[in-house]
Amino acid sequence: MMKNKVVALTKVFLKNSFQNIETSSSKKNKANSKSILILYAIVFLYLAGIVGFFSYNLVEGLIKIQQEEVFLGLILLVIGIFVLIQTIFSAISLLYYSKDNEYILPLPIKPSQIIMAKTNVLLITEYFIVVIIGLIPLIIYGILTSANIFYYISMIITLLAFPIVPILISSLLVLIVMSFAKFTKNKNRFQVIATIILIIAICLISFKTNDMEGSQEELIEMATKANGLVEMIRDAFPTLGMAIEALANNSYLNLIELVLVTAILYLIYIAVGQKLFLRGAVGSLYSGKRTKTAINEKIAFKRSSLSKTYIGKEFKTLIRNPIFFMQCIMPAILFPILVIVLSFAGMHTEPNTDIVQIARMLQEKTSIYLGMAILMIIQFFSMFIYISATAISRDGQNAVFMKYIPVLLIKQIDYKVMPNIIMTTIMGIISIVIAQYLFLMPILYLILITIAMISMGMLQSYLMIIVDLKKPKLDWNSEYTVVKQNMNLIWPMILGVANITIIGVLSYILGSFMNSYIIIGLLILIYLGLTMLVRKYIEKNIDKLFRKIY
Amino acid sequence: MIKIENVSKSYVKGKKSIDNLNLEIKNGEIFGFLGPNGAGKTTTIKMITGILNPDEGDIFIDGKSIQKEPLEAKKNFGFVPDSPDMFLKLKGIEYLNFLADIYEVPNEKRKERIETLTKKFEIYDDLNSEIQSYSHGMRQKIVICGVLLNNPKNWILDEPMTGLDPKSSYDLKEMMREHAKQGNTVFFSTHILEVAEKLCDRVGIINKGKLVFVGTFEEMKDKFKENASLEQLFLEITDDEK
Repeated sequence: MMKNKVVALTKVFLKNSFQNIETSSSKKNKANSKSILILYAIVFLYLAGIVGFFSYNLVEGLIKIQQEEVFLGLILLVIGIFVLIQTIFSAISLLYYSKDNEYILPLPIKPSQIIMAKTNVLLITEYFIVVIIGLIPLIIYGILTSANIFYYISMIITLLAFPIVPILISSLLVLIVMSFAKFTKNKNRFQVIATIILIIAICLISFKTNDMEGSQEELIEMATKANGLVEMIRDAFPTLGMAIEALANNSYLNLIELVLVTAILYLIYIAVGQKLFLRGAVGSLYSGKRTKTAINEKIAFKRSSLSKTYIGKEFKTLIRNPIFFMQCIMPAILFPILVIVLSFAGMHTEPNTDIVQIARMLQEKTSIYLGMAILMIIQFFSMFIYISATAISRDGQNAVFMKYIPVLLIKQIDYKVMPNIIMTTIMGIISIVIAQYLFLMPILYLILITIAMISMGMLQSYLMIIVDLKKPKLDWNSEYTVVKQNMNLIWPMILGVANITIIGVLSYILGSFMNSYIIIGLLILIYLGLTMLVRKYIEKNIDKLFRKIY
Repeated sequence: MIKIENVSKSYVKGKKSIDNLNLEIKNGEIFGFLGPNGAGKTTTIKMITGILNPDEGDIFIDGKSIQKEPLEAKKNFGFVPDSPDMFLKLKGIEYLNFLADIYEVPNEKRKERIETLTKKFEIYDDLNSEIQSYSHGMRQKIVICGVLLNNPKNWILDEPMTGLDPKSSYDLKEMMREHAKQGNTVFFSTHILEVAEKLCDRVGIINKGKLVFVGTFEEMKDKFKENASLEQLFLEITDDEK
């Protein structure tokens, strides 16, 4: 009975999550969804290809220095950290800020069943990512190390069991922090602060690895350090060591241990979770209270320019809405910072003694490609900034407002893409500052990369708003639907991957005979030219593009 | 003045949601737009306000075509949509300032207008809270305040009384009367027939996309049967068309 309810609830939650993958009976739409599926498959294969390519090279390199087991630790570590961070975001939204709580809580369902079902949803969603970042590399490892059948069986069991513990850790942290929600006045602000605290907590766990001793010499040393990193992080993921042992030494005892420990932790989690869940969930159902505070008359009635007031309105909506804030604003700041934390974690306590020197040493050989690499990394990060891709949908039914106010639609589009451009620029600047610290680039080079980064952000922002205009998601009850369960958001990824490929190919072809300054200059011209063309297209077709908004 | 000329609109090919609509709302007039659910009231209002483009015909606000001179036409009206859930994450005062900036309300007028309107609707003390924390009625009031900030000559309101408490409803009706008395136009849709009966100078009844009656309440009585209530007349008119 209990099991049935959990399965039924999981199904309902999952259906809710994926309801907007369009299924339509009309011929045209069927053809359309078929082509979309093909597109997704291509994107998946492309990503899998990239992961496979890097894994192959890495494992081969490690085999040469007989350090191939490091690869297992690295892959599991990446899965662990990825799942850990990803779950912080999704667990808060799914456990507490999802609309279904209002319908589920009054039903005769035990909190433990709700927790189980919601954790199942988290897990199933994470498995999709585990396939790309876990399954493919581990298969390649198996092939290159000529592993036997036991390795592949262990691999499947490990990949199924291993992501559970990071999910439990994140969810439990969320449950603990959110149980304080009812003591706070402003629930939305609380959610944002809670998320930031949790992310910091996760970063600290990663930082713990910083204490380790490490030699400072060369690349081989770095590889062993990565292994050291695995050793150090064992405490954060109690099952990591077992998983590595199970895979590396064909140890079935470790495999059984991994499954057993995971099961025990799961039971403990459910026992603790059900006590904490209701305390937080009930608190989060009520939105903020009205406060009768007087307005500051000096600033309250001040006139602003239209652009300032409009862009300000966009930012206020983004920042004050916890789900929009976490999905649209946070990644811009968080990703580059996480990269710093994770890159330096496990390194020596004075990071500039090794990684910086290695980086500077590498620069001489690869300076032609350096700028391109930075732009590719920035492009990768900006794939997760969804401000433009949801600019219209975030307004929901209010989007019609744009059509009846006396402001040109193209002007409003300019204002709406601005937050995306600004956030991409902030993220880009953080990344460039890190790069500058590592590589000490010449000032002109730095300026060129910055301009290229901004123009790249502009192009992406205008392109993404077209995606949203063509398929706006205006009829939503929960903000989560717009920023998470929105198939439009595959487009920033498609565009990002395409752009990364273009940058890569361009630098490969032109890099051999052209100066990197000229290549970046060329890229700037391409991006700016394309941005102008895309904006012109929007302006020319504005009525058509807004046809679905009424 | 609002003028609707030969306007038609179809959502689905071959099925007209609005069929050759002609209507003129003169200055100084309160016009009530009535009709059963799905008759075409909201579609008409969406076309008047530029949210939807008509397939045929045109609409003029104070002589400006909503299709050919949209910005000029849009400056001449204030629109209260049927759902007041607007920009819930903005504070009341931020929402009003946002609209005041859009409609270019000068500084000196802005303070006076915001204070007068919000005090009248008794939401002045709540202006520093996010609209999300407002009740349905308060949200309706802040939207109405926003629309009236720049004192547009033409008011277009979609179901404006929904969710208003009796006092606010009374105040809004008084303001509509006052606005019309000053030679301006008020066009609103409603389901509440008593409001239409008491407030409107003229009413229009739309059914299945066709305007089936335009005139005063007295003219309606003359045309159909005497001594019947507006409710009875409304049912008869819309029933005949079925």
